[in-house]
Amino acid sequence: MNHKTAPVEVRERLAFAEHSIPTHLKEIRGLTQIEEAVVLSTCNRVEIYGAANEPSVALEGLIDYLVNHFEVTPGEVEFYRKEAEEAAHHLFEVASGLDSMVLGETEIFGQIKKAYATAQSSGATSRRMNKLFQQSFSIGKLVRSSTRIQQGSTSVGSAAVDLAEKIFGQLDGCRVMIIGAGEMSRITAQSLRSRGASSIIVSNRSFDKAEELALELDGKAVKFDDWGGHLNEVDIVISSTGAPHAVVHKSAVEKALDDRRGHPLFLIDIAVPRDIEDEVNELDNVYLYNIDQLTRIANDGVARRERQIEVCRAVIHQFLEEKGIEALAEIPSQRLNRGPFSPNDSSSSEPLPNS
Amino acid sequence: MDDIYLIISSLIFLVGFVLAVVSLRAGRQGSVRLNIGLAVTGLIFQSLFLKERGALHGRCPITNGAEVLVFISWSVVILYLALGRAFRLSLLGVFSMPLVFMFQCIAIVSLLSSDPGARPPATLDPWLELHAAMSLLAYGAFGLAGIAGVMYLVQDRQLKSHEPGSLFYSLPPIRYLTDAMLRLLVIGTVMLTIGIVAAFFMETFPDALHLTVSGAVWIVYVALLIIHLVSHLAPKQLSISAMVAFGFALLTLSAL
Repeated sequence: MNHKTAPVEVRERLAFAEHSIPTHLKEIRGLTQIEEAVVLSTCNRVEIYGAANEPSVALEGLIDYLVNHFEVTPGEVEFYRKEAEEAAHHLFEVASGLDSMVLGETEIFGQIKKAYATAQSSGATSRRMNKLFQQSFSIGKLVRSSTRIQQGSTSVGSAAVDLAEKIFGQLDGCRVMIIGAGEMSRITAQSLRSRGASSIIVSNRSFDKAEELALELDGKAVKFDDWGGHLNEVDIVISSTGAPHAVVHKSAVEKALDDRRGHPLFLIDIAVPRDIEDEVNELDNVYLYNIDQLTRIANDGVARRERQIEVCRAVIHQFLEEKGIEALAEIPSQRLNRGPFSPNDSSSSEPLPNS
Repeated sequence: MDDIYLIISSLIFLVGFVLAVVSLRAGRQGSVRLNIGLAVTGLIFQSLFLKERGALHGRCPITNGAEVLVFISWSVVILYLALGRAFRLSLLGVFSMPLVFMFQCIAIVSLLSSDPGARPPATLDPWLELHAAMSLLAYGAFGLAGIAGVMYLVQDRQLKSHEPGSLFYSLPPIRYLTDAMLRLLVIGTVMLTIGIVAAFFMETFPDALHLTVSGAVWIVYVALLIIHLVSHLAPKQLSISAMVAFGFALLTLSAL
């Protein structure tokens, strides 16, 4: 099950505690027919991949195990069951980020790697799971490198960070100033900090609040009347005050530019009413974005990624047409008379990895 | 045979450019390896052309306008391959290819319509060879700086418009473009300086027009760098200056 088939209340009940996964793997492999297994348990999905000679029998046993173990009533949870190419294909799409809540995100790739490593170190994988997961890693990398599934921002915070990276490149050493210590400022500053931004200056009408946020972000608080004096020292300004009028004027930015020796300045205005005069964007080397513009970029990013799904699927399809699903080809005696891979072909009755 | 090498090389650059544009428009990430592979293949055929022409003349093959254009194109490609990655500008190659293709097309038409043939020197003067080669390599660097300037203006416009298109995600950050532009201007100016200094050691001193024109190009670039050093030109001004200066440098070629 995943975020599309089960609400968070169900997903949190069925989540496997990380430390208990080796035990679960042992128990799952003790079930009828299941020879190999990998448990992928994240906040958005709980999936069990297995290799068995009788997939349908193994699947029934697995669902009974989950129902009993997690004390869910039959029918309470909608488990999806996939066999053969369908199961392999599902894993390839998951590894490529096509099944993620945020399309194309990369965290899932690391989570699959970790799940596979755990299963491998627990002795729960063998040739079929090894082949299947190794191939999923190759496909995940290929899809990300040859398509634009990761391109475009999907939230206001990530839009701000992506824009900052298109201006400054790597954000290591970038200096940030926050004017107005609101929640959105905090989130955006944290996103920038996670990408390497440093030297965060926080200014707020209430100095206590500025100090509090500065402490949280490992930055420095300055009095609200003094922020203008620091404008020439920073690369990124995030403004989110509750002022009913503009706080950052074109003249102040123009003055700061004289001391910036050609370095660009990125201004993020997430306040409503807006804090920064629109005319600031007319200045050379200054880039101003307000909340609506960031939201529009985020929405465009989501749409852009959605349009890439078919491109990604075509890449996976082409890869499999050339190489086939290695985990299935691993059993020559039961692969006889089999044609090339077709994504619509799920009529096989051979031993398969299931999920 | 030399014309064939040049035609093949031009077609390779055209294919490289078309493939990059098609993949950008189709929403696929263009393959950097493919771009570099095509640039290297194109460079090999350019080099074969220059080798054949060099053998024909018995000296550096820059005896007519067509050869000069090919030599500058060769300089652009070799500098892109040598520096593009270091400057984190893999897309610089894509933007260079139309310029290289255009230069080489002019060269092909010129050579096919009237090839002046072999022009062996009375005596081989290494200082003349150094002067010519360094000056044209400098033009290659100035050309790449101008291309980086175009890329900067495109990216700046996208950032200012608040509606980034598909190119926005493929183009490098504007800071990298500014840095690359500045470095290429410095590299080009240093090469041109070496070329001009070499001219003073030549057996036959260049004529007044040649010296004036070379000096004018050198003064333009040195002045640009000094102005930037002193008053920190905004990247937009630097980009426009790099493009205009390269346009001027190209115009002077006809006088050389």
